[in-house]
Amino acid sequence: MIEVLQKAVQYGEKLGAQFVEARYDDLTLRTLERTDDTWKNIQVKSRMGIGVTCYVEGVSGYSFTASPTVKDVRAAAQKAYKMAKASAPAAELRLPLTKGPSSKSTQSDTLRVKIHPSERDLAYKVDLVNRTIEAAREHGANIKNVLGLYGELHGKKIFTNSEGSSIDWNYLVTDMRCFVISKTESGALVVGLEGNGGTYGLEYFESKGNTPEDVGGEAGSRAKEQLKAQPCPAGNFRALIDERLAGVLAHESFGHLSEADFVVTGASPLTDKIGNRLGTPEASILDSGVPDIRKTGGLWVPFDDQGVRGSTTTVLGNGVLLHYLHNRGTAERLSETPTGNSRAVSYIFPPIVRMTNTYFVPGNLSEEEALEKLNTGVYAIQSSGGQVEGNGSFLFIAVRGYWVEHGEIKYPLREVALSGNILELLTRVEGATRDLHIQAGYFGGCGKGDQSPLPVGLGGPKIVIGNVTFGGKA
Amino acid sequence: MMEYESVKDELLSVADTGLKFAAKQDGSAEFEVYVHYGSVSLVELDQGVVTAKDGVVAGCAVRVAKGKRLGSASASGVTATRVKQAVKESLSVVNSVSAEDDKFGGFCDPKKAGRECRLNKDILGLEVDELIRHCQDMTKEARDVDSRVKVVTASCRILWDGYAVANSRGIEQASRSGSNRCRVDVMSIEGDERKTGLRHDAACDRLIRTEGLGEQAAKEAVGQHNGKKLGLTSVLPTLWGPEAAGAYILSSFGQAALGRAVVEHTSPLCDMMGAAIASHEFTLVDDGQRPDGLGTESIDAEGHPQKRNPIVENGVLKGFLFNTYYGRLFGVGSTGNCSRGGGPFGTPIPYESTVGVSGKALEVSPGSKTPDELVSSIDGKAILITDDPMGIFHSTMSTGQFSVVANRVYLIESGSTSYPLQPVSVAGNYYDGFKKLRGVGNDATLGYYRVRSPSLLFDGFTVVG
Repeated sequence: MIEVLQKAVQYGEKLGAQFVEARYDDLTLRTLERTDDTWKNIQVKSRMGIGVTCYVEGVSGYSFTASPTVKDVRAAAQKAYKMAKASAPAAELRLPLTKGPSSKSTQSDTLRVKIHPSERDLAYKVDLVNRTIEAAREHGANIKNVLGLYGELHGKKIFTNSEGSSIDWNYLVTDMRCFVISKTESGALVVGLEGNGGTYGLEYFESKGNTPEDVGGEAGSRAKEQLKAQPCPAGNFRALIDERLAGVLAHESFGHLSEADFVVTGASPLTDKIGNRLGTPEASILDSGVPDIRKTGGLWVPFDDQGVRGSTTTVLGNGVLLHYLHNRGTAERLSETPTGNSRAVSYIFPPIVRMTNTYFVPGNLSEEEALEKLNTGVYAIQSSGGQVEGNGSFLFIAVRGYWVEHGEIKYPLREVALSGNILELLTRVEGATRDLHIQAGYFGGCGKGDQSPLPVGLGGPKIVIGNVTFGGKA
Repeated sequence: MMEYESVKDELLSVADTGLKFAAKQDGSAEFEVYVHYGSVSLVELDQGVVTAKDGVVAGCAVRVAKGKRLGSASASGVTATRVKQAVKESLSVVNSVSAEDDKFGGFCDPKKAGRECRLNKDILGLEVDELIRHCQDMTKEARDVDSRVKVVTASCRILWDGYAVANSRGIEQASRSGSNRCRVDVMSIEGDERKTGLRHDAACDRLIRTEGLGEQAAKEAVGQHNGKKLGLTSVLPTLWGPEAAGAYILSSFGQAALGRAVVEHTSPLCDMMGAAIASHEFTLVDDGQRPDGLGTESIDAEGHPQKRNPIVENGVLKGFLFNTYYGRLFGVGSTGNCSRGGGPFGTPIPYESTVGVSGKALEVSPGSKTPDELVSSIDGKAILITDDPMGIFHSTMSTGQFSVVANRVYLIESGSTSYPLQPVSVAGNYYDGFKKLRGVGNDATLGYYRVRSPSLLFDGFTVVG
């Protein structure tokens, strides 16, 4: 396939493009979904196609095709060139690429796992979901609905460009989730959920805390606990956020602002702020395509979709803004090192600046010390999503929480909404626990630029924050 | 390459090939073959950076049922080879597991197709140069409003697509549609304060109208500077403008009325058919046959004709939205709402999405009061929300609890809109809100998420600011 891609590059250059990139995805996606006793979905998808980017005078044009024939790939290169050429006169800000040395991949760029999902049959994965649901039922109460999910994504990613790069590696994501809905005596519905994914072999789902019994049992137990939970009070309180919510905060509110496509246009409030203190010394945020997955979990991205090798970038170091996240064009424009953050959700989309694994750096507190430091306030746990505006204001939904008084957990809270401005919030980070966990997966992901869902990792330790606005009951 | 005029015939031919191949593979199984082909051209002008994309999204999906055992597979590409691969993959799924769906009652039965949208063919002739010019015009308009307008992003896109469905029960139908869309986002910066504005237009029966959008978005952004702090935590009336109200509808009834949530009892509406669930002023329909509707197709994603379906009439729950599977389970049949990743958040890759249920085009019937009359009907303080608030799509349909942050908000005091506010948090319960709905405006507008809603005035939500 690399030969077909090389022909696309040559053809684009012949048409007049100053730089051409071509990539090929041949991915298999498998989804298993069971609701209560019914198998809603057992599906396999084959996602195979080619994307070509042509650069003309610092303007990119993109096209794609599901057909890997030389004829259709050349047609895609022609379309990409035509789009770039037609757009070039309108550009006021150009992001040209300077040719550099070529990149080559090796076999070790593909993360090895013990049990690759392609080595187990469908019945094995069906059993994982069945066991999850049974465990949820065993530990739950007043259950109205149980949903069990398993997903896997794996396959080949090949890339070349005008520099003669030759990159070939295998992508892998596996994931298992459980959602439980229970009904309170008053008729209100409450939820409990659990699950995790990342670049794992199936041996992960046999490890402590991650077995179907652990995942289903936790989801059932949490839904049961929610039957007696109270609404969160509205107002400003001290907060302790768990690893998963910290990850959403790192990704949604700070990570997106650090993406250099927002910086070169001036849209990000982090524009021109390299070297500025934005947070307390306890606040550090990294993005890494190559985390130590055995220790922390996460997603393995050894190359981005412009062929840049994955790396670890300290975006915020001890409260100081140190680096942005880049594609090649923005890195060159801002004279920073490329960070391996140019990613596309599939061959249908051009790569744009995206995060890989984004997480807060751990501190030195134990969980007990973190609760003591919180003193009185809200302990917010897990997240069902969040949103951020270009000015740094954010809103996140924690799935559940606890009201804490004088360092002691008092009672469970229902869904908790946290809001504020990330740049203000970073100045209120008071401490972090020693643990670090990165959550990634097949289900959900980043939705930037309508390219959804792109698997990303997000995480951190538990973090104590001085003051957060909570939406709730007056 | 396929053309709009012939896309249905070509896709039907591919679907037929796939179905015949499937029948040869296993005569005892029931099959459904879905084939999609869509053309997309997109130009974005982001503060001077131009991004352009042009390509064809093409793929197929196959569902197979052997008794109560179900399997599905999809493949990118619409060649006979790829369709046959999807057939084989789907069979391998169904042959390798014993897991059953004991509620499955067969695929969709054939019925007479509905109508397609009224496409203005001039849309298909739009060239990249024209899209770029529209982006430049919107950008210039916005920049001319005020020197504080620092960041402008304008985009235009043309989409047209077609799909065909063939199944073992005799369905062999296809539909096609097209649209053109534009959007401009403006950020106004004053010191550290950043305020945003947004305008958009989308249509299938006419060319996009970009004139005035940049100016309006810029004025909206600039007009929010120096907003005051609300400075209280209280239960206040909230007036949701059309864009905000559309997001509210979509997150609440737009999800709770879907057949899956109803049948699986995750919807709070599941046992409430015929009950009063909203103020008598409130009427909601899902119209999959509106001639100028962006969700209008002759058939849904499993080949059933799309329809116009009432959901709430004068406050009373009248209907839910179903595909064949959930419609049979509920005992009413399909309402033509089968989708593959459809709805307002629809995926550009439908063949990869599983078959589900979604609204095609939600519409709230306009009331009799102008927005100004709604404002003047309020005693004391209230909040006007003009954007789709942050977090509105992260709330849980089952519980109805929501907590959002509204960024473009204004204080209403003593019957008139006074000044912009700093962002406020608004929390409550969607379904309680409908019961406390005290006014419906006459300003129904198609929102960005394809819900057509007028302004809605609610009592009873907690506001923190």
